[in-house]
Amino acid sequence: MEFQGLSTDQAPPIWVPLKFFITAPFFGVLFGLFVFFTPSELFLSRFSVESIIATHLLTIGFFGFVMVGALTQMLPVLAGAKIPKPKLLSTASHLLLVFGVLSFSIGFYINSSAILAVASALLGGGFFIILFGIAFAINGVKNLTPTIKGMRISVAFAMGIVVIGVYLLYGYVVKDIDATHLSIANIHSVWAIFGFAGILIVSVSFQVLPMFYVAPHFKSFCKKRVVNIIAFGLIFWMVLNLVGEFDFLAKFVISLFFFAFATTVWIKLNKRRRPISDVTIWYWRTSSISLAIGVLVWFFGELILDEYIVLASIFIGGGFIMSIMVGMLYKIIPFLVWFHLNASGYMSIPTINEMIDKRYLKVQFYLFIISILGFVASFFYLPLLKVFALCFIFSMVLLQYNIVLPVRLYVKTKKTKPDFDMSMFGDVR
Amino acid sequence: MDSIKGYLTNDHRKCDGLFAKMEEAAMTFLGDAKSLAEEFIKETERHFQMEERVMFLEFEQKTGITQGPTAVMRHEHTQMRGLMKQLLESIESDNKDKFFGTCETLMILLQQHNMKEEQMLYPMAQQHLATESARIVDMMDSMIVE
Repeated sequence: MEFQGLSTDQAPPIWVPLKFFITAPFFGVLFGLFVFFTPSELFLSRFSVESIIATHLLTIGFFGFVMVGALTQMLPVLAGAKIPKPKLLSTASHLLLVFGVLSFSIGFYINSSAILAVASALLGGGFFIILFGIAFAINGVKNLTPTIKGMRISVAFAMGIVVIGVYLLYGYVVKDIDATHLSIANIHSVWAIFGFAGILIVSVSFQVLPMFYVAPHFKSFCKKRVVNIIAFGLIFWMVLNLVGEFDFLAKFVISLFFFAFATTVWIKLNKRRRPISDVTIWYWRTSSISLAIGVLVWFFGELILDEYIVLASIFIGGGFIMSIMVGMLYKIIPFLVWFHLNASGYMSIPTINEMIDKRYLKVQFYLFIISILGFVASFFYLPLLKVFALCFIFSMVLLQYNIVLPVRLYVKTKKTKPDFDMSMFGDVR
Repeated sequence: MDSIKGYLTNDHRKCDGLFAKMEEAAMTFLGDAKSLAEEFIKETERHFQMEERVMFLEFEQKTGITQGPTAVMRHEHTQMRGLMKQLLESIESDNKDKFFGTCETLMILLQQHNMKEEQMLYPMAQQHLATESARIVDMMDSMIVE
């Protein structure tokens, strides 16, 4: 049947992005459990083993998985770019990354050089397999839109942070941690947050905001220059950081443009032509506010107290990056289910709104927001951390439930016979 | 005279506007959205036909590619026609939940479809049909919807 061929032509097989998406909340839950069961004061230093484990459960396990899944889904749709052997690459990468994050955490927890060595091979391999596939696909795109160009830069930063990450892990394997190590770890984290995740989110928003909400398009300057300026700022920041002076200059550039992006998103949402307001809009708004506060704390906070970096991370990592990701998962997963079922000839598919109970979406959103605010409060009063870690666990369990429901519907429906309603062919000329 | 790309892209924006208006009306009372839904569907159907009966045919004739992007776009038109039918049915049965759910699916499908056209197919068409651009736009503009 021609239909099958057509649908695979325009989108990757459904499990390519889905397997990454549905794994993300699992790591969110692990993060919550780890924070809950670990003595809170161990998180006071960002370089403690506990902080490293917690951070990576979320940054690789949640952010990394969602971003890789989103890239594999968006590239074919946005640019007709095809990742070679998508099923094979994504399966291999997914497995390597899942066991990579787990062995990374265990290796640090029990202080085992051997397990950390395995983790660096798994994570390095897992990321490089998929990132090279993505880079290959981008390389074949003829019509380079600002979004695709931004994705290219983001993927370049991703490759950079993976190389640095493997190098840093090697330091722990051979137990050689000096001041340079911490300085490089700082570059690793800033590039990961602003270079990989930040630039990817900015570039994707150029398409997604007008697309999902009929919001006004971003200005040409924004689309053509901002990503390059941020990328330049991040490289400039690395140089100044290694030199050890004036890094606030580059930090200023990065903060300024992310702050501008945050306010632009807010304004675009206000001017959107679709009046409907759902949980995904609330997530975008949360994201916008958190980013604005986060970069202010990042820029000014460290001038006051080094520890403020933790506060900045809560706002930027949790409030900004994670909010957008959760919001987008709620849009993308039900759509993918509908799209793939429809393309396979199933006609009576529940609508997106019928796939996930709206009440659960709201509860999940509130639990998530309370946890983020709670983490902020815990920064000032540490005993609160456990309570909000618990709240975060609930929000992640509910997220997992909410996004597994449409996937379950997909699996169940696929087991039945398609309708093949012939009226579908009637209008094809 | 507009280019093929410019003409059809503007038409996408016009349909987006009608869609947003329809949703806005439906928020207060679903019945109010009926005429706006009909208008949106009429304009969208016109857009589909301008492509299927004029531009796609010219493109396929010129390039010899019949099983490529135009086939994918035709298939998505069919998917959207199905959803637009459901949209009217949900208004008839006064089912707000079904209406907004269908809107959501239709909107995403429509937008990613538009994006593929605007970023891939239209530039290709403009490139291959540059010399006949004015004639093709004129034909689309004066086409009578079947």
